[in-house]
Amino acid sequence: MSHLRREFLKILFQKRTYFGWVGLFLVPFIITVAMRLSSEGPPDPAHGGPYFIGLIKTNGLYVSVGSLLALVSFLLPLLASMAGSQTIASEAEKGTLRTILMQPVRRGALLLAKWFIANVYVGIGLLILLAGSLLAGGVVYGLKPMMLLNGETVGLGESLWLIFLAYAFVLAAMAAVVSLGVALSTLTDSGLTAMAAGLVLVIIMLVLGSLSVFDFLRPYLFTSHFDAWVNLFARPIDWDPIYKALLNFLVWTVGMTTIAWLIFRRKDILS
Amino acid sequence: MQEDRRIVLSTHGLTKDFKKLRALDNLNLTVYEGDVFGFLGPNGAGKTTAIRLIFGLTYPTSGYVNVLGHKVPEQRQQALRHLGGFVDDPTFYGNMSARRNLRLIGEMNGEVTEKRITEVLELVGLAERANSKVGGYSHGMRQRLGIALALLHRPELIVLDEPTSGLDPQGMRDVRELIRELGRQGTTVFLSSHLLHEVELVCNRAAILSKGRLVAQGPVDQLRPAGGAVKVLTRNQRRAAEVLRALASPRAVRAEEEYLVIESASEDLVPEMVRRLVAEEIDVLAVIPATEQSLEDIFFELTERVAVEGEESGR
Repeated sequence: MSHLRREFLKILFQKRTYFGWVGLFLVPFIITVAMRLSSEGPPDPAHGGPYFIGLIKTNGLYVSVGSLLALVSFLLPLLASMAGSQTIASEAEKGTLRTILMQPVRRGALLLAKWFIANVYVGIGLLILLAGSLLAGGVVYGLKPMMLLNGETVGLGESLWLIFLAYAFVLAAMAAVVSLGVALSTLTDSGLTAMAAGLVLVIIMLVLGSLSVFDFLRPYLFTSHFDAWVNLFARPIDWDPIYKALLNFLVWTVGMTTIAWLIFRRKDILS
Repeated sequence: MQEDRRIVLSTHGLTKDFKKLRALDNLNLTVYEGDVFGFLGPNGAGKTTAIRLIFGLTYPTSGYVNVLGHKVPEQRQQALRHLGGFVDDPTFYGNMSARRNLRLIGEMNGEVTEKRITEVLELVGLAERANSKVGGYSHGMRQRLGIALALLHRPELIVLDEPTSGLDPQGMRDVRELIRELGRQGTTVFLSSHLLHEVELVCNRAAILSKGRLVAQGPVDQLRPAGGAVKVLTRNQRRAAEVLRALASPRAVRAEEEYLVIESASEDLVPEMVRRLVAEEIDVLAVIPATEQSLEDIFFELTERVAVEGEESGR
């Protein structure tokens, strides 16, 4: 049994895994019901992000984009931070880390497997969110070709492809959060501490990114790039902010995972 | 004394500091093939620190461990292929059954068959609860499961940290019998314990650790003094003590009620003592063998000596 299979099996045996996934499945239904009960009309296209949420009433496909917008700045980072921070710290807290490290395993391979499965967990969560969105939106409003930000309409197939790319982009963004969580997880023997620390850092980055006095920091904070996927829905697609965002996520992901490995490979397991 | 048997486990100048605290100081242990080796010491002596270093869970400040020719921490993975056991309380995934835990963790060390899992669970008396979640297990049951995991791959060396802790008397007896049986089958067992009689019952060799330092190591029967203790009854205990202290050593003579107890009294020493006492015109009323000094006595004597020496060097 490979490390990956073993780590995946472990998360399948945890109740919190299903709480996270069920929560993500329910969000699109809540948004759809809220829109159904709302009396507001379609929004002005100039509003960008919120524009998609308002369009839900015209096309169920927008539920998937609206759900992503609603969750990308807090709930998804929370989930990613939780997944990353549970990797080492939670096992250290329970004492099982020493049990598995008393087996002939490479610490680096174990850490990488845990990092990968934490990302798989977030990835499955995003797929569940997408499935729930298509189901809720499709049932209530039907799935139709999408109108993009410039008012151009694209076919249903291309619409679904763009939505899939947007979700893949968010998965890359969340990989940076997972990696931050994994790095913090190697520093403490408390899963809760690691998760809280990860979330606090994400919130600090969000705050820094929202204050104009710290504008010089914005390009370096991964949180500032969370919504760059919206550019996928422009015509022509503005790839520049998307590439910059992906590069930023890559640097954070590689950097944080490397830090985690450097700490973990020589860490004294005292728990 | 050099033994002919193969060395299974050895530590070489093993030292571990935690910030300013020296938890283990220049530990040099040798465990031979087939030994049931007792690792004794009071709480905080550094036993668990040493075991963590043996498993490569922590990194030494200096020195190293050698497990069947593999240096730890450098060759930790190769060493762990020959090693089974647990440190502190054995820990498992509480939301999984014992069987699944053994499969999940055991497969990190190579293939595990269901038949072997059943065998080890039967051996430790957990076969009937094999499919129950470990979260519902008592402390004693987790201890047994820890032993089952240690045995799963039939390692050449088993390191157990206080394996009878938390067990009921019957459980303790079963585990000790299991350890003895492993020893009879040729498996080398390294047993950490604070229960001195357990080490006397189960082990053939032992080491005593105090304040991170090794104070004694060797066959259990040789850890006791070579000669037995004798009790001497005289008409003048004070003068007799002076004579005997001059003859033996000041530390070897102590008063116990109306008797003087002379430790490590060899066969040559006893007639010489009587001759000297008679020469000094001290009437000798009786010379009788004292109860044999137990490992417990040795343990307290050695650990207290280290404590006194530590205090003196601190002044």
